[in-house]
Amino acid sequence: MSLLTTTVGSFPKPPYLTKARAQLARGELTDDQLRPLEERATKEWIAFQEDLGIDILVDGEQYRGDMATYFAENLDGCEVSGLVRSYGNRYYKKPVVVGELARPGAITVDWWRWTRGLTEKPLKGMLTGPYTMMDWSFDEHYGSREELALAFAKVLHQEARDLERAGAKVIQVDEPALSARTDELDLVVKALGVVTRGLSAKTITHTCYGNYDRVFPYFNRLPVDQIDLEMSNSGLDLLDRFRREPLKKEIAFGVIDVHTHVVETEAQVRERIERALETFEPAQLYIDPDCGLKTRTVEEAQAKLRVMVAATRATKDARGLE
Amino acid sequence: MVSTTVVGNYPRIGESSQEQRLRRAIGRFDEGAITAGDLKETERSVVRDVIEEQTAAGIALPTDGQITWYDSQSHFARHLDGVEVNGLVRYFDTNTYYRQPVVRGEVRWREPATVDDWRFASSVARTPVKAVVTGPYTLASLAKTDGGSRRELVREFATAVAQEVRALRGAGATHIQIDEPAITRAPKEVDLLREGLDIVAGEKGGAWLCLFTYFGDVAGILGKLARPPIDNLGLDLVQGPKNLKALAKGGVDVPLTLGVVDARNTRRDDPAALAKSLLGLKGSVALEDAYVSPSNGLEFLPRGKAREKLRFVAETAGLLEAGL
Repeated sequence: MSLLTTTVGSFPKPPYLTKARAQLARGELTDDQLRPLEERATKEWIAFQEDLGIDILVDGEQYRGDMATYFAENLDGCEVSGLVRSYGNRYYKKPVVVGELARPGAITVDWWRWTRGLTEKPLKGMLTGPYTMMDWSFDEHYGSREELALAFAKVLHQEARDLERAGAKVIQVDEPALSARTDELDLVVKALGVVTRGLSAKTITHTCYGNYDRVFPYFNRLPVDQIDLEMSNSGLDLLDRFRREPLKKEIAFGVIDVHTHVVETEAQVRERIERALETFEPAQLYIDPDCGLKTRTVEEAQAKLRVMVAATRATKDARGLE
Repeated sequence: MVSTTVVGNYPRIGESSQEQRLRRAIGRFDEGAITAGDLKETERSVVRDVIEEQTAAGIALPTDGQITWYDSQSHFARHLDGVEVNGLVRYFDTNTYYRQPVVRGEVRWREPATVDDWRFASSVARTPVKAVVTGPYTLASLAKTDGGSRRELVREFATAVAQEVRALRGAGATHIQIDEPAITRAPKEVDLLREGLDIVAGEKGGAWLCLFTYFGDVAGILGKLARPPIDNLGLDLVQGPKNLKALAKGGVDVPLTLGVVDARNTRRDDPAALAKSLLGLKGSVALEDAYVSPSNGLEFLPRGKAREKLRFVAETAGLLEAGL
């Protein structure tokens, strides 16, 4: 098997679900009324991925808001802040750690198991990593970035174990904040190691939009089987470095820019895959978008994924790869 | 007398529907449902609120909150020749992003970026309003270039920033702050920063000019930063704890803005403890001429928490004054 296709985690929510979530926020809808709509959207995304022929699926996170606050809402010792700005006119809420972190119960397992019932294909378990949870939280309790990251790591390890027990063969631990402070990369490795220690599932970490120059020497040290990198937005700059300093694990290679409305052409994506194949072995190389697609419309996301899969197929056919 | 100020940006929306009107207006403007004039009106009503919030909390020298800025880099780049604005890049160690300026040719000032907003803020404030400009060293450091002389680039940005300062002064600004957070990441380049700053300061005229560094410490280069022609040096004492120790040794030749209230965390500060720690500088620093401020802009906090931090600034300054 080579050039397996996958996605990074989130998909856009269809308008009926966005509207319902707004109603829930205004108190016009209950959780029980929202759930069937989240299930409907998840079913639609699973069907789309299966029809398209994507190899490793995700549930699309239709039941999650922000990737950090989703976990904060489900942990003891955590609250959720008011809105803060990310960029432009985009705002998000942040976790606020107000006490000792603890996991009263499994967080993602119920949805993973429910979605698993919809497909025979591999389905990723999706976690937000301990370093990112720490970096994106306001800490009113621990007073130490390391202590807080390791406290998150402990509860995320419990969650990963539960996903594995439920049958997850692939677990992704997202660390988009990995490059936020390059003097803390040892802490990223340590905290991620606490999450993945002893797991038999394939482990992945995704990161994006950072200064990879300083991070590069750490890629081989990250305690996961695969790294998932945004490559298109950064102009494939990293490939030269990977040629000089080979990656000793699998790579999921972002070939779709998720921050533009413009849908890439098949030729553009094929060129990116061909460039990747100059550096990586086909069996080592997975093909996916740069990042989660939730900021695009459903139509844009689907169009981009169609191009990604078509370009991958064309590359495999041209090279006679299975 | 100990005074109070802020560093620059302020949350532009809050939790209530009324406090979210700017977010809605920008959304409607993007959809083509309202005009640029309508959007400007909303922005100005928010600036009015932000000035009022600062004044009510006891801030003697407020800013306009940088309510109209997309970010601290592209807000200037859009008004310069020789620079284009590109994709999103993470802003230091914050989970916020700026549109990265890309240098395409000689950098030249084309038109004011901040004057209209400053003039409006000043017209609705009962106190002087501090104008804030991103410094040439930081503009050059965060921009994308195709190589070329870094020194020349800093000098070009400095000439442009100097013209912005001249325009602000011409509009009547008496207090101007130059933000240079990037120097906390490369203190060895302090001479380059000074070279740019001296060009900017050449246009300050009679205005009070503050240099503010944040997101880290500058302890090893304090002596080079804290000297004329700037009139005040602003320091982050939260992410730059070594700054405090360095200050205790003395040797700063200009008054300070002491960024002591934590602008990166929602945790409640203890004004009594903060004032006590600042009083430890008595004898080394001219505390009676100092401003107390948050450690950096308050935009990284929710609006309600930012309001709370303003009160902590005022309380800390009051306790510091009482302890002198």
